[in-house]
Amino acid sequence: MSASDAAIEMRAPARGSSAAAIRAIFIVTFAITAFLIVTPLVALLYGSFRTGGPGTNATYTFDNWRGLLEPAILDTLLITLFISIVTSLFSSAFGGAMAWLTYRTDFRFKRALVAAIGLSFFFPGFILAMAWVILGSPGGVLNAFLSEVFGIDSEPFDIYSVAGIIWIQVLHITPFAFFTLRGPLSSMDASLEEAAYASGANPWQVARRVTMPLMIFPLLSSLLLCFVLSVEQFAVPAMVGIPGHVNTLATELYLLISFSPPNTGLAAAVGLAMSAVTGLSIFIQRRVVHRRNAPTVTGKGYRLHMLRLGRWRGLAEILCLLYALLSFIIPTIALLYTSGIKFFVANPFEAAWTWRNYVQIWESPGTVRSLINTLIVAGGGAVLGLTLGTLIAYSTHRLRPRGFRALDVLASLPFGIPGIVIGLGFLWSYVWLPIYGTLWVLIFCYVARFLPYATETVGAQVVQLDKSLEEAAWTSGAGRVASFRRIMLPLLRPALQSGYFLLFIAYFREIAAAALIYTSKTEVLSISIWSFFENANWGVASALSVVTTVITVSLMVAMTRAPLKL
Amino acid sequence: MATGITIKGLVKRFGDKTIIDHVSFDIAVGELVCLLGPSGCGKTTTLRCIAGLEAPEEGRIEINGQPVFDSAEKLAVEPYRRNAGMVFQSYAIWPHLSVFENVAFPLRVRNTPNAEVEKKVMRTLDMVGLADFRARSAQQLSGGQQQRVAVARAIVHEPDVLLFDEPLSNLDARLRDATRAEIRRLQRELNVAAVYVTHDQAEALSLADRILVMSEGRIHQAGTPQEIYGAPRDAFVADVVGATNFLDIAVHAVGDGTVQGVAPDGAPLRVTGRMAAPGPARVMVRPDRLRVAPDAGEQGENCLHGTVRQRLFMGGHYEYAIAIGPTVLRAFSPVQVAEGGRVTVSFEPCDCIVLETRGAP
Repeated sequence: MSASDAAIEMRAPARGSSAAAIRAIFIVTFAITAFLIVTPLVALLYGSFRTGGPGTNATYTFDNWRGLLEPAILDTLLITLFISIVTSLFSSAFGGAMAWLTYRTDFRFKRALVAAIGLSFFFPGFILAMAWVILGSPGGVLNAFLSEVFGIDSEPFDIYSVAGIIWIQVLHITPFAFFTLRGPLSSMDASLEEAAYASGANPWQVARRVTMPLMIFPLLSSLLLCFVLSVEQFAVPAMVGIPGHVNTLATELYLLISFSPPNTGLAAAVGLAMSAVTGLSIFIQRRVVHRRNAPTVTGKGYRLHMLRLGRWRGLAEILCLLYALLSFIIPTIALLYTSGIKFFVANPFEAAWTWRNYVQIWESPGTVRSLINTLIVAGGGAVLGLTLGTLIAYSTHRLRPRGFRALDVLASLPFGIPGIVIGLGFLWSYVWLPIYGTLWVLIFCYVARFLPYATETVGAQVVQLDKSLEEAAWTSGAGRVASFRRIMLPLLRPALQSGYFLLFIAYFREIAAAALIYTSKTEVLSISIWSFFENANWGVASALSVVTTVITVSLMVAMTRAPLKL
Repeated sequence: MATGITIKGLVKRFGDKTIIDHVSFDIAVGELVCLLGPSGCGKTTTLRCIAGLEAPEEGRIEINGQPVFDSAEKLAVEPYRRNAGMVFQSYAIWPHLSVFENVAFPLRVRNTPNAEVEKKVMRTLDMVGLADFRARSAQQLSGGQQQRVAVARAIVHEPDVLLFDEPLSNLDARLRDATRAEIRRLQRELNVAAVYVTHDQAEALSLADRILVMSEGRIHQAGTPQEIYGAPRDAFVADVVGATNFLDIAVHAVGDGTVQGVAPDGAPLRVTGRMAAPGPARVMVRPDRLRVAPDAGEQGENCLHGTVRQRLFMGGHYEYAIAIGPTVLRAFSPVQVAEGGRVTVSFEPCDCIVLETRGAP
């Protein structure tokens, strides 16, 4: 097409018709994002001023907000904060120590350690909690072991306690701290440390006076992130807290809704209060992340000086092995054991082995449906979530039209909203819609909850791609859509692949957001496992958990092995 | 000669900062014009406006007589419909495509038949000397090779205009010289209007048919490389196109095309330029136009006396710093004089130019 034909065609809109199309895509993206994220929050806010739930004869009231100050709720708040602060401190300490061992010392089993941490990162929290109930409850494996072998009959382990919740959460959240801290630790400018060595500092002085101060912001960021993950944690307190009568805000909210008469208004107020705590922490954490980047990270690929651990090396290696054992290996063995026996007995020599539990998965229509539901929600929902995330990332990092900052803020909001709270918001706002009671509600809810996973993964890659790569396609004669398809999409492929994988796993194992909005027709695996477990059917619950873990781990292996380019 | 690119009254602002301030110029078909200036002068933005990658606030841009942008008519042709070829500073070679497919891209998006794509791409790769590299991944290429792929991609579809955004700034000096000659040859063969953005004066002088020196969003001076180098309008242009010396003199007689005055050391001077009236003036003379000789006591017009402050051996010549009264002149000369030695420095009247002062001290 010659310039004159183009000129005639392009005359009407100010920046050409394809710019108008881009604008339209942005507006649609914005509208969908706003709908997904703002609607449940508005519903919660509205609900927190109502005396009853949707569909009831309710009036306006301030009682729900006053209810937050009642001693029972305040106690729950204090317990939640205590659990979360302790969890955050231990997780960051362990995660940071293991990241430091891996990237700054002559620790010998780095690859094995990273693989083990990766495995426990993807090990679902509710399955870990279940395994630790099997191991650590009164009548569980550990107490039985003490009784049989040492004759200690006092049952010293009680997982149904504050300490139990913290124990499981630390095991579960430590990988997050590891992955938050390994970037800054591994990309720190080596010359900063080398300059300290050249100035005559010994390795411990360098670690204390140079490395640690440079890691202050990453550490702070890790502490805040672990704190938020702990506050919003639902599976662990639900599985070990509720039986032990230890409630956190997340389980309190769940109980307010699930036990009649439901106190929806107070639940909404609790949810918003929780979101205020997590949202504020995430806000600070993101500011901290921005602060730290400048001085420590450089693009130079110098080999870092690895600290020699000397006689401490063996001890460090044993402690890391211990983490792998406690967070993944022993729980898996416990689940395999429980799934393979007829009735639970702590002593494997007294057990009656059977395949019955696995057979029962396939013979029960409810379980099969829940497996199919989970695959639909995870497999299909992740496509939707990734598409929306990609549109948002491309808009906010590349197109940057008017209003892109608002979109950026909207899309990162779910970072600060606990899963159970988003679930409650969807329960309130979707009860009116015809899709209520279908899998769509779950899918929409998950898309909203994990939107930042998609936007961050894809966005990080978009930023990496030089703008001129796309401009070169335009000046070569490719339209905006064609250049996006032929240039941007192939170049984004690695990020899209890992984004899809992350979303799939997240949707696959999500329990907090589903706990309030599932119906008997839309039950998913996590919920099925939980209800089998609650009904004391540990065998089937364990068998389902093993199936879930096998799917998760094989996906993880497939994705890390898969050739990333095509 | 037919006009390839016409720009009238171009204005571009970022926020309240004016990047391009009413710029107008024409480029003939077959002509290569360099936009030369320090960073931030608006040269790259001007180029991007021609490509359609930036939307100006005001003005009109035509390519081969057809408007592609006009603020009054609210016309803005998308970049992919301007039939331009552009070479980016970063090369922007797509890492997921082979050399062949990178170059073939402009043809593929125009739905060119496969046989023709093959023929044209291979011919173009031949022109840039990369025919043997067709199957390579772009990531396996050196910087110079990537640069040539970028050039091949920009010319394979026979564009109406060629746009170069500092294409050589990421190459080392030796490669830069070779590629410069190559670009010149290709542009001659294609016979299209070309705009070449650079901040390197040597590049501009050797490549351009015409140089537009830009400063603060405006065209400060336009002319052939010889004009810009030999008769810069003022100290800014003189400085941008190469090393130079400035002298402050007192003019006492104004003639037709020449003026007469006195140098800081009292020597009589006759230099090129026009002035309205006698008075103080600033003149410039290039270091390579100064003749250096050991001081033999001769006197005369345009003959200054000074002391060698510093001497650096540059291979083909010496680079001297010569103190003449309070002024230090740089001079390039093969003549050998020791540091501290007395020298005479002389020049032809045509090599010393009176500059506009623009309020300079």
